[in-house]
Amino acid sequence: MPASKKYLQPEALRRISRLELRARHIVEGFLSGMHRSPYFGQSIEFLQHREYAPGDDLRHVDWKVWAKQDRYYVKQFEEETNLRGLLLVDVSRSMSYGSGTFTKFEYGATIAASLAYLLLRQHDAAGCVTFDRDVRGETPLRTNQKHLESIVQLLESVQTDDETDIYGILRRVAEQYPRRGMVTLISDLFVEREPLFRGLRLLRQQGHDVLVFHVLDDDEMEFRFQGPTRFEGLESTARLNCNPRALRQGYLEALEEFLADVRHTCARETVDYALVRTSDSFDSVLAAFLSNRLGMHHRN
Amino acid sequence: MVMPSFLNPLLLWGLALVAVPVLIHLINLLRHRRVRWAAMDFLLASQKQNQRWVRIRELLLLLARMGIIAAAVLMLAQPVLRSSWSRWLGTATTHHVVLLDDSYSMTDRWADTDAFTVAKRSLERMIGQAAVQGVPQSLTLLRFSQAAVDGPPRPDLMAETITADFAPRLESLLAQMEPTDLAIGPTAALQSLETLLGSAAGENRVVYLVSDFRAPQWQEPDELRQQLAKLADEQVRLELVSCVDQSRPNLAIQRIEPLPGNRAAGVPQLVEVTVRNFGSEAVGDVSVLLAEDGSPRPAVVVDQIAAGQSETRRFAVRFPTAGAHHVQASLQSDAVEADNQRHLIIDLPLSVPVLIIDGDADAGDAQFLTWALAPGGPVQTGVAPQVELPRFLDTQPLDRFRVIYLTNIDRLDPTAITAIEEFVARGGGLAFFCGERTDPAFVTSQLYRNGAGCFPLPVLGTAELLVDRLRRAPDLNVADHPVFGVFAGERNSFLQAVVVERYLAAPADWRPEADSSTRVLASLRNEAPLVVEREFGAGRVVAMLTTAAPEWNNWAQNPSFVVTLLELQAYLAGGYEEVRARLVGEPLEVVLDAGDYRPRVRFTGPDRAAGPESVEAASGEHGLQAKLAATNIGGLYTAELTRQTGEIETRRFALNVDASEGDLTTLDGAQLASRLEGLPHTFHPARELELGDLQTGGFQLSEALLFLLIALLIGEQLLAYTVSYHPQSQEVAP
Repeated sequence: MPASKKYLQPEALRRISRLELRARHIVEGFLSGMHRSPYFGQSIEFLQHREYAPGDDLRHVDWKVWAKQDRYYVKQFEEETNLRGLLLVDVSRSMSYGSGTFTKFEYGATIAASLAYLLLRQHDAAGCVTFDRDVRGETPLRTNQKHLESIVQLLESVQTDDETDIYGILRRVAEQYPRRGMVTLISDLFVEREPLFRGLRLLRQQGHDVLVFHVLDDDEMEFRFQGPTRFEGLESTARLNCNPRALRQGYLEALEEFLADVRHTCARETVDYALVRTSDSFDSVLAAFLSNRLGMHHRN
Repeated sequence: MVMPSFLNPLLLWGLALVAVPVLIHLINLLRHRRVRWAAMDFLLASQKQNQRWVRIRELLLLLARMGIIAAAVLMLAQPVLRSSWSRWLGTATTHHVVLLDDSYSMTDRWADTDAFTVAKRSLERMIGQAAVQGVPQSLTLLRFSQAAVDGPPRPDLMAETITADFAPRLESLLAQMEPTDLAIGPTAALQSLETLLGSAAGENRVVYLVSDFRAPQWQEPDELRQQLAKLADEQVRLELVSCVDQSRPNLAIQRIEPLPGNRAAGVPQLVEVTVRNFGSEAVGDVSVLLAEDGSPRPAVVVDQIAAGQSETRRFAVRFPTAGAHHVQASLQSDAVEADNQRHLIIDLPLSVPVLIIDGDADAGDAQFLTWALAPGGPVQTGVAPQVELPRFLDTQPLDRFRVIYLTNIDRLDPTAITAIEEFVARGGGLAFFCGERTDPAFVTSQLYRNGAGCFPLPVLGTAELLVDRLRRAPDLNVADHPVFGVFAGERNSFLQAVVVERYLAAPADWRPEADSSTRVLASLRNEAPLVVEREFGAGRVVAMLTTAAPEWNNWAQNPSFVVTLLELQAYLAGGYEEVRARLVGEPLEVVLDAGDYRPRVRFTGPDRAAGPESVEAASGEHGLQAKLAATNIGGLYTAELTRQTGEIETRRFALNVDASEGDLTTLDGAQLASRLEGLPHTFHPARELELGDLQTGGFQLSEALLFLLIALLIGEQLLAYTVSYHPQSQEVAP
């Protein structure tokens, strides 16, 4: 492991209180450990010339062609803009659970900020939407480097609250961002399955490249509680007094069944799915992201 | 249904601990950790799925843990099942059969107790605890002495049901029991079990042998082994309860006997007393205290008695009056009292009537005999001789005489011969001296009769003994016999001085039959028999084949003649005199002549508290017999007979203990086990005896509880595992 990567462990990063700095640290640390990346430095590629039509942006007129041929042509690129990366961060109350260094929300926000930084650094457009039952905050897609600041501000300002209405959110995103892009959903997915799957399908149908970072806490994965415990729902009023060891097996089975369902559905919908634990180091998350970039590239 | 009882009931307070798992559960409820949880759906799903089973298992787990505590506490409290349903477990009735050793070695005393008291206490303790058992319990108590009686054994308690109020009854019964002076082993008691109780089928029989297990009784335990093997075959449990903790030293007077001699008033009587040291170390300066008719006399001191050895001392007693006289020897107190005393009754007549028949009217020979037997003057021999002619034998009864001397007789009438032979056969003594008138043919044909008569040998005729001028050897060679005690010693001058010239010769080839009672007591230098004896019926006959007067010999001129004749008199009178040593436990029988005595006989024993016992005489083998069966105490017994005239006549008897019981060498558990190898038994020192050891109380539940506890522990672990209280090694797949 490169020396820098050990600073990508959640424990190490916890010390960096500012999300922006943390994001920079993660990305720089991650990238510095890499050799020349095949994914890095991709730029705008020229596609063709097209005759100018009124209304076209004069900035795109190829004046060299006009000088030679006295005709107005505009340059067309393969993509008119950079990659449009929209980060959907779940800020519902369930995300406030955390047994380790970070709560799920903190971890998710760190991922979101890091991805935003990475996108912006590559001159891609990054935008962020925080949501629970409804959209709680939104920054538009921008390529401006300074846009990171507003994303970070958005993430830092939200309070986790309320439960999640996932389908509503995803449908709204699909409507608001009709242009194809990369939609990264960062959530614990503790929602109704059917609306979730419907929402993901909708995004895919829109042509979005969808990434799901399924953030779960170690406790939620392993359920290592002992002794009589009273569980109180974060998003519901359910209460349960129980001996957790007696219920562990059933819980793990139910969880596994859910995870399997999610994995299966994501695979079917060609949604990239990554299950991350709040104890995982961030480089694995970034690696997942970058591999997805490559995959997206190939897919398109 | 009766509840089980507990051997350690105090431990039952520990049952309160059963509440501990519930308390822990309740405390845990209060100590609930609160977790605000996101993934409630999965938890609720799991709970919905598992709820019922988890509840049931958790309840079972709680019950199992409570059960474990309860089982552990109950096991330690040692419950004994005793209720109606314990019958179905095969313990219908527990029948305790106690065989109690009451031989005198049980009086073994130490500290402030003795073996018999220890036995009684352990019995009380055991039965006291049996009384609170639920399983029906019964007790049969048989003392060794009561099993050894003539006729059927007499148990003190016969299959008595043990109830709660039984203990005081037993206590008062035991309080009356004392050890006897008997020397008895367990054999009779074990033998009587079968006749007493029959088969052990259908009951849970436990035989307790409560004894001191003295080594002598277990030396060759073949018979005992057979008895015990029979018990084992019947599935009877055998518990050996030893009441002594160690072997203690003990001295015993083993024997007190009068030496042969003339029994008569005023004649000194020699008595021998033997003291045995049963200890393992030598004992010195042992005083044997003596009393004549209750008056003390100088003690006999034994310097040293080696371990396990006996020493005999001789002393003389003299009673001036006729009648039954009492000699008592006693030792100083030691572990066992009964064998420290021994009694002797010597019945002395005023004088011993003796009949001397002389064939010659001059009675020369008779004169010498009379002088020898009753010299007169201050010397008292106790012999009262009466000189008569042969016809006296035909006409007068001979019963009042003890000994008849026949000297120098030529012939006797057949009636006289019959009378003499009957007299001897009844126990009288007969001495025969030769003389000029003696007819050898008559002696051989009428008195000897080829051995059928009372004369011990055939004779041919008179013979001369060649004179040995050099006197290289004495004329007489005497055998080792009480009659010739005066000649004892090789170079005895008395023997040298006796010269025999003539004698009545036996056939040269005559030898006493090997299997007969005929013995040559003295022979001549030429090996011809001179003094020959034989037993005839109950009496003795001694034939001197020479004269009493110094005619054929010079013996009567020798002082040894008097001594020899007195010894001969004592020896011949011995048929009557012999004092029969009576042992404790033997029935005391008094034979009565119905014509002289009334049939009621009053017996008084040494136990003054018991009081006299009147016995009606019944006709038996020898006429009327009065029998006192209860003679379990050693000492003096008197029988008061009433003559038809109303006159009271008292007879005295001494009953002594069997000294062998005084050997206090006791066996410990290991030694007993080696003697009883292969026979199932359990050995308990009485002092450590607890009911728990004996398992008298029906069905012991402790073992069952132990298995239950193990099963519960295993079950608890399995349950705890299934309720996921054990960390699982497998990790959750991410």
